Amino acid sequence: MDLLQRFALGEIDAFEALTQQFQGEIYAWIVRIVRDSGAAEDLTVETLWRIYRARHQFRPDGNFGAWARRIATNLAIDHLRRARPEEALMTEPAGELPRDPLLQQETREHIQRAFRHLPAKLQLAATLALIEEQPYEEIADALGTSVGTVKSRVFRAVRVLRKRLNRLGIKPE
Amino acid sequence: MTEDDGRKVRDALKQSFPPVNVDLRRDLWPRVLAKLDDRPAGIPWYDWALAGLSTAMFLAFPRLILVLAYHL
Repeated sequence: MDLLQRFALGEIDAFEALTQQFQGEIYAWIVRIVRDSGAAEDLTVETLWRIYRARHQFRPDGNFGAWARRIATNLAIDHLRRARPEEALMTEPAGELPRDPLLQQETREHIQRAFRHLPAKLQLAATLALIEEQPYEEIADALGTSVGTVKSRVFRAVRVLRKRLNRLGIKPE
Repeated sequence: MTEDDGRKVRDALKQSFPPVNVDLRRDLWPRVLAKLDDRPAGIPWYDWALAGLSTAMFLAFPRLILVLAYHL
């Protein structure tokens, strides 16, 4: 009997072997989204726990890695929703994009804050597609949606972000 | 929004969010195992008290079973 079949039957040794095999991959996917190593470790543990609890739903002829990534992605989206910053976005114009390195740091902080205020699904799609440059097909698979939907979310994220940054007087160069 | 606008926003994002280290620094199996071993909380005392009280009532007044059955 192979590893996945034994896992589906609830054998803890098989699950440990799968954990050893996939925990790094799951963590890497989550940390790209949440960008916080501590939170990513917690979410990886939660993902693996949920995987074991849902083992009866797993078909041994299926793709374990893709299934794990989908569970991880859903948990990461929940995390982004909970972790959205409480403070309101600054609306005062901050002037043209500054040249001073110190002010550039301030501009980066404005951009980070504006980005974190995006709806979680837009933020996730934009993070993976634009910052991490992951293939659209992989993002779509992890979200359980189509490539077209991912592209649409990325487009909306860019449009919303550009508007917010314009309101702050920041025009990305 | 033009293609150029999209590129500018992407470049600004890449400059604002430094690359993250994607290497897992420790084995998470012990934490997963500990979480799996966590048993759900037991039945609270007031549920036991309610069950005991109900049993005593039914023993003392068996006709209450019929009343309860009627209302169910």
